[in-house]
Amino acid sequence: MFTSYLRIAWRNLWKQKVFATVNMAGMSVAICVALLLSLTAYHEWSYDNFQENRNNVYQLYRQDITAKGVRVSKSFSEPMADVLKKELPGVKHVSRIGGGEMPVRYKNKNIYLDVEMVDADFLQMFSFPLQKGNPHTALDKLDQLVLTPQSAQSLFNQEDPVGKTVEVSINDRWKPFVVSAVSDKIPDNSTISYEALARFENVEDYHEIKGDWHFSTYPVMVEMEPSAKAAVLNKGLITIANKYMADLIKDLKTMGGTPDEEGQLLRIQTIALKDLHLSPNSTFSTGLNPLYPWMMLLLACLIIGIACINFINLSVARSFTRGGEIGLRKALGAMDRQLMMQFWTEAFLLCFISLLVSMVLAAILLPYYNATFRHDLSFRLLENGWLVLAIASGFFLVTLLAGGYPAWKIARVNIIQVLKGKLSLTKGGGVRNGLIVFQFVVAALLISCTAIIWQQLNFIRAAPLGYNTTQVISIPIDNASQQALVAMRNRLASEPAVESVTGSMLNLGMGKDGSSGNWVLGFDYKGNQVSSQNIVVDYDYVKTLDLKMVTGRDFSRQYGADTTGVIINEQMAKQLGEKDPLNIILNTNGRTFHVIGVVKDYHFESLRNKISPLMLTMSATVRLNYLFVKVNTNHPVATMDKIYGIWKEINPLAKNDPSFLDENADRLYRQEARFSKIFMSGAILAIVISCMGLFAIAVLVIAQRRKEIGIRKVLGASVSGIVLLLSRDFLKLVLIGVFLATPIAWYGMQRWLSSFAFHTEIHWWIFALVGVVAVVIALITTSLQAIRAALANPVKSLKID
Amino acid sequence: MIQLQKISKHYPVGFGKNEILKDIDLTIEEGEFVSIMGPSGSGKSTLLHILGLLEEPSAGAYLFQGERVDKMNEKKRTQLHRGAIGFVFQAYHLIDELTVYENIETPLLYKSLSGSERKSKVADVLDRFNMVAKKDLFPNQLSGGQQQLVGIARAIVAEPRVILADEPTGNLHSDQAKSIMELFKQLNEQDKITIVQVTHSDLNATYGNRIIQIRDGHIQG
Repeated sequence: MFTSYLRIAWRNLWKQKVFATVNMAGMSVAICVALLLSLTAYHEWSYDNFQENRNNVYQLYRQDITAKGVRVSKSFSEPMADVLKKELPGVKHVSRIGGGEMPVRYKNKNIYLDVEMVDADFLQMFSFPLQKGNPHTALDKLDQLVLTPQSAQSLFNQEDPVGKTVEVSINDRWKPFVVSAVSDKIPDNSTISYEALARFENVEDYHEIKGDWHFSTYPVMVEMEPSAKAAVLNKGLITIANKYMADLIKDLKTMGGTPDEEGQLLRIQTIALKDLHLSPNSTFSTGLNPLYPWMMLLLACLIIGIACINFINLSVARSFTRGGEIGLRKALGAMDRQLMMQFWTEAFLLCFISLLVSMVLAAILLPYYNATFRHDLSFRLLENGWLVLAIASGFFLVTLLAGGYPAWKIARVNIIQVLKGKLSLTKGGGVRNGLIVFQFVVAALLISCTAIIWQQLNFIRAAPLGYNTTQVISIPIDNASQQALVAMRNRLASEPAVESVTGSMLNLGMGKDGSSGNWVLGFDYKGNQVSSQNIVVDYDYVKTLDLKMVTGRDFSRQYGADTTGVIINEQMAKQLGEKDPLNIILNTNGRTFHVIGVVKDYHFESLRNKISPLMLTMSATVRLNYLFVKVNTNHPVATMDKIYGIWKEINPLAKNDPSFLDENADRLYRQEARFSKIFMSGAILAIVISCMGLFAIAVLVIAQRRKEIGIRKVLGASVSGIVLLLSRDFLKLVLIGVFLATPIAWYGMQRWLSSFAFHTEIHWWIFALVGVVAVVIALITTSLQAIRAALANPVKSLKID
Repeated sequence: MIQLQKISKHYPVGFGKNEILKDIDLTIEEGEFVSIMGPSGSGKSTLLHILGLLEEPSAGAYLFQGERVDKMNEKKRTQLHRGAIGFVFQAYHLIDELTVYENIETPLLYKSLSGSERKSKVADVLDRFNMVAKKDLFPNQLSGGQQQLVGIARAIVAEPRVILADEPTGNLHSDQAKSIMELFKQLNEQDKITIVQVTHSDLNATYGNRIIQIRDGHIQG
């Protein structure tokens, strides 16, 4: 029986090549896209699922209630770890995490490694099993180092690393470490990654922060006993916060914060390891919006939905041409159930072929997909049996949806009508039209969202940031020594293209190293609490970046070290509220600053945020991480290469490429750029698949109306009149779709735009444009068929019956 | 074998109804060859559809081998339908996508016979109708007469008690029509299959042993 179904299904596919192609092409592309999108979503959700303690390990963060709202900080003071371990009920392990890219050398090999400084508990908390070495003793001593197989390979080649001594440059001093263990390769989906592990006591500023509750510098992770209740954990953290952060809480009170319902102004909150990857409060946050995987899944569903609608409409329409067969099978004793089985088998066969095609397509597209959308997806995900099962059942559901409704509808048709050939397409048109409208709602929605996201990105790119973006090159310093910096300055002084050079603790925008950060100071000024961001910079900062001085001067060598001076922005001046800002003296945590200048506000952060108060200071102890070089040249790329060449000579280990500041500003919005790319692809696909369906439906409907067209022509209708008559019905559906989509798109995009402090407005003409585009595309799709039908000889079409 | 008691059939038309059949009483014995005749629109096709369980009567009782068919549930009716009744249509109604062999095999699929049983039954019928050489051809490769031959082969392969034929020769020319009617007569006499045919042709009616005239939904005489 089943083979007979398959046979007839196969022959039917051959006979109706147009429909089979439209159905299959649409379905294949849709399944391929849905596969890629849902695998991406799965990949994001699968982060840290290899960690055995993912439910019991937490990252802590601090949440302060200030007069202006809730402020989050993710770092804690050095003594916190000890306190947690001794005083938090139910705690099992605690580890701080610090460190970063550092030069490491062995014999004549000299490379950069990501050395993470952690506590001894680290290897017990996290599932990073060791290939060689004992996890309980691997980080016992301060001079022990754990490597990954890759870093061991690049340092030691074939040698056995365990027991060998390597040197790590911390704060420009080479310090010996003994390799105690080699861990397994870190899985792709791990939030925490390292190339080498050492004890936390090795962090560069350890002697400054040791025992000091005033500096909050490193994140803390804790592991609780599996039996420990969340309520107990919360209560324990409240007790600790009140006991050790009393000063901070007092400050918050004087700043006018309102305590929450439990009377707390300051809370230590937790994020479980399993949620860490997508949490905005994670210190490891990649800036990925937690909704992002959901959006991917939604997009996947919408596109599959559109393809399913094509499938349903075409199957139903086509089945009317097979009315004879259906009626006959009923007359021969087929039950409704058996007929449904038959038609479902056909749908299944078609979908199955589409699935195979889409798999091949996905495999071909994967590298391109990863490159375009910055994902690192691989088909090794499919080694997970559950995932395969999920895909299989998803596919089964699609065939049920796409094949089930037509089969059910076909099986219910009246056999006598069918045998007499009286069945017509006009029946069930309501459902069909509804489905077409839905397709165009989705298509119009995606097009208008893409248009608005694109507008906003353009707005951001064109917005004046208040500093020179096109002439300034930013070079990440990568922990190079201060001598190297001095050498670099001297070399650049003799370059004709270089106008000026400065340094900064923080980059502007996002560089190719992908790091970012901020430093907020809170202190007392004439009895008022003020808070400000602080960036440590170098001489000539204002000059190099072309900032506009409102009053005062830039940092300058004429004033020696100039470390008591501070340049503030207009927002800060407004906060301090003095008539003559140049007389202001600020006392912050033991240091005294004299305001030497006020700069016009500039966007030192992304346009998502309002410009906040800012202090620019110089410091002899805080390291500079970026070099800004202003150039005056007609060959920017060549000049940048040349300058980078000089830097490479001075610091051969340099790892991160330099970039112009306008690129850096763009990079801040790469998530939005990625979003708009995905939306655009989705929108194009949705429109193409919908139009394929519309085309096929047009072919069928027009075929049904051949006789009517013939009669109208005989009675004197013009070709254009007939084309209009035939196209009008479809255009109506498209327009309804656009009208329904407009308010949804407007609402959603309004909400998205409100996440930017600086944003464009939504103009009505966007939606009008989308409507025109949709109508034009639909018109082109259907009018070809309509024109063909209108030009046909009426004698022929009337003769057939 | 077949007993109709006061069978009526009407369709709703606007606010009123269109009466097709009115109070039909009819008995057909086992082994009869009955021809139903009448002008277009007289209700003869509807009567045939009711006999073949393709349509339900609006009123009245229908007994098939002594059982009330109009009271049966769908499943039982389908069983009866598959086992006891075979259809032959004017427009042949073969499935274009299936070969001659597969078309004949189709009713057996719905009776869920085993593969080998199906094979032997189809082979018997093909042999009997001299169509073994054509078994792998598709319907559109056959002449009208040959197509109707396949239609009849398909009707008898499940060994029904009754064959209902709706103008079986309507689309054929007279030579072909003659051989088809000869075949019906043979099936009736040798295989003892009851045959009910609807026809316009007086000549075709003479092959049967009883003629029922229908006019405006009533049986005449």
